[in-house]
Amino acid sequence: MLIQEIIFYAFSIIMIVAATLVISVRNPVYSVLYLILTFFSAAALWILLGAEFLAIILVLVYVGAVMVLFLFVLMMLNVDLSRVNEGFVKNLPLGLLVAAIMLAEILVVLWYKGRTGIEDFPIPEPLSADYSNTAEIGQRLFTQYLWPFELAGIVLLVAIVAAIALTMRKREGVKTQSIPKQVQADKRDRVKLIDMPVEGVEDK
Amino acid sequence: MNWQDLQVAAPEIIVLLMACGLLILDLFVSEQRRGLIHLVSLLILALAAIITLRGIPAIDAVTPVMAFGDTYVRDSMGDLLKVFAYLLMAMMLIYSRHYLRQFDMYRSEYYALALFALLGAMVLISAASMITIYLGLELMSLSLYAMVALKRDDKVATEAAMKYFILGSMASGMLLYGMSMIYGATGSLQIHEISQAIANQGSDNMILLLGLVFTVVALAFKFGLVPFHMWVPDVYQGAPAPVTLFISSVPKLAAFAMTIRLLQDSLGGLHGDWQGMLLMVGVLSIALGNLAALAQSNIKRMLAYSTIAHMGFVMLGLLSGTPEGYGASMFYVITYALMSAGAFGVVIFMSSKGIEADNLDDYKGLNQRNPWFAAMFALLLLSLAGVPVLVGFFAKWLVLQAVVNVGMTWLALVAVIFSVIGAFYYLRVIKLMYFDKADIETPISAPSDFRAVLTGNALLVLVLGIFSGPLIAACMAAF
Amino acid sequence: MLTLTHYLTLGAILMCLSVAGIFLNRKNIIILLMSIELMLLAANMNLVAFSRFIGNPDGQIFVFFILTVAAAEAAIGLAILVALYRNRQSINVADLDDLKG
Repeated sequence: MLIQEIIFYAFSIIMIVAATLVISVRNPVYSVLYLILTFFSAAALWILLGAEFLAIILVLVYVGAVMVLFLFVLMMLNVDLSRVNEGFVKNLPLGLLVAAIMLAEILVVLWYKGRTGIEDFPIPEPLSADYSNTAEIGQRLFTQYLWPFELAGIVLLVAIVAAIALTMRKREGVKTQSIPKQVQADKRDRVKLIDMPVEGVEDK
Repeated sequence: MNWQDLQVAAPEIIVLLMACGLLILDLFVSEQRRGLIHLVSLLILALAAIITLRGIPAIDAVTPVMAFGDTYVRDSMGDLLKVFAYLLMAMMLIYSRHYLRQFDMYRSEYYALALFALLGAMVLISAASMITIYLGLELMSLSLYAMVALKRDDKVATEAAMKYFILGSMASGMLLYGMSMIYGATGSLQIHEISQAIANQGSDNMILLLGLVFTVVALAFKFGLVPFHMWVPDVYQGAPAPVTLFISSVPKLAAFAMTIRLLQDSLGGLHGDWQGMLLMVGVLSIALGNLAALAQSNIKRMLAYSTIAHMGFVMLGLLSGTPEGYGASMFYVITYALMSAGAFGVVIFMSSKGIEADNLDDYKGLNQRNPWFAAMFALLLLSLAGVPVLVGFFAKWLVLQAVVNVGMTWLALVAVIFSVIGAFYYLRVIKLMYFDKADIETPISAPSDFRAVLTGNALLVLVLGIFSGPLIAACMAAF
Repeated sequence: MLTLTHYLTLGAILMCLSVAGIFLNRKNIIILLMSIELMLLAANMNLVAFSRFIGNPDGQIFVFFILTVAAAEAAIGLAILVALYRNRQSINVADLDDLKG
């Protein structure tokens, strides 16, 4: 049991420090990198909770795709770093106050003995060696949760349609090859046969 | 999954398939014949309406029917809301064609995103599990964010989209945190199992209450209630007028259904706890919405604050916690959506080539420029103000009655006082139209389908007011 | 012993850091978007922990859907951000001041 506690505390501390740095470092690129570290630690904790499939998804989809997208956009936009943290100090007292009050309230509820119901949750039995988290999730996803699964697909389709509609534009003056146009080219468009009178020959 | 599941969820499935079909059809339609996309969209709505109204064969339609592993529910509340969602969406599409052409936005993405937003609203209305509530909400919201930003070269529209996106995603985050607590406290994500668990274990569970607080905050954000209303005026003003029309109609129906599913169907056992929260946001919204609307010079902003006040009224019906109150709120939200669609229809009507007529001064002397539509607009505004015989009056009346019946007469009095104050800003617009001189005297006109729908929309407000019985009965029968 | 409270506390800390981030970074929209990602992570952490301790995989399924939707959400958010940047050459929150009344 001790090894699990070491893992839990080690990754929790990394995660909290990284998450704090996400919101406080000056350079947004570092923020993204710290967010990646946060997600990695979260994935480790999820493996500790027996949710291997989600842990891997978190690393593959989140770190591998979403965070790269963030970095990509950040690099593309050329952010003015000198103005990035303006007002940080001014907002610091208010922000910390709100966050601290909220944390205190949630923790009072979570740590309150008696009516919370948290004590009703015993430490679960370790999962058996032949348990497959992926198989269990997959089985439910394609039976009981088929309807949400299809909807998730539509949500992704909306994201594609929206992202293309918002950002794709035809630039003027760019010379790109259009394969459909080349394939559709017809000899009648390219060569024009014109009847014209022959010069220099007398009509007889 | 079996054949019956597909039959029960047929309206959603049809809209989903046809919307995907529309995207493919767009590849083969040239720009000159974009009208075809418009017609097909209307056809999809008509088809969905027919399927919804036909009901489910061989099953008693009054009792809720579950499908797809209890993640989907079909009941009479959902069917009624969906039918009105199709109607509002069809009106929105006809209104917007005129606008899209003038503002160079006549692209088929607009139609596809609108249909996906409608699908999201339908899923939300028929959600029977936290997962489908979340997916429906996000499908609707993501499409709406994109629709606001579709006028992508416009500084104001993209700014509105960004604000809408950030505050909307924050609300979704709050909602998820709340849902996670509810899941922990009850051990289930299914709505009927949650209410069962609360009935078994009693309601004094602190984790459940924590979940409830986050859920109510998220709902208040989505409805745009004070003190979580910051996005409403900015988004209403910044979004293209047809998108504003859409945001103020269909999503309100969906938000109402979401509130019923979350607060009544799953957390009904905590009524004593959420009643106070809804009371606070409701009263604040009615007060601040009506007062702030008085100070606006932009008509879209004014209507945004009026929305906040109207949504406060919807909360009053909900907080009563009685079937009568829920029915009254449902009647309110449906009729509000119809009135608001008409009002924004007039805003679109007034817009001309590339310029939105969103300043109140643009409405000066509308009576000289087009007397018929000035009269229609006056009718809609009077109904929004709650003048008797028009439908807005009956909506307010029913909600107040429900509140008085649970012994909160003082609340009804407060609401009446603020709506009397609120009536002033609607009357101010009517004064501008009838008694002020127009700056520009050119008559305004619009395509015939536009004029027909706008006229129908305004007259519907009158007809539903005079013959309000059937709709009220249908709303009351849903609970 | 690692109890449920350990994980829930972690979720609560993440949630509050995210709220603090939203309050502190009134300037840079992209950090606001990252704070929202942290908020989703907090909810996911709770769901995974509850799912394990209740012994019911529904919570994990929910997290799967949240991750999917969050990916779509990030794509749309960044698309709006790019459109905004093209119009104003800035992603500073303080520059978003055209809408006031």
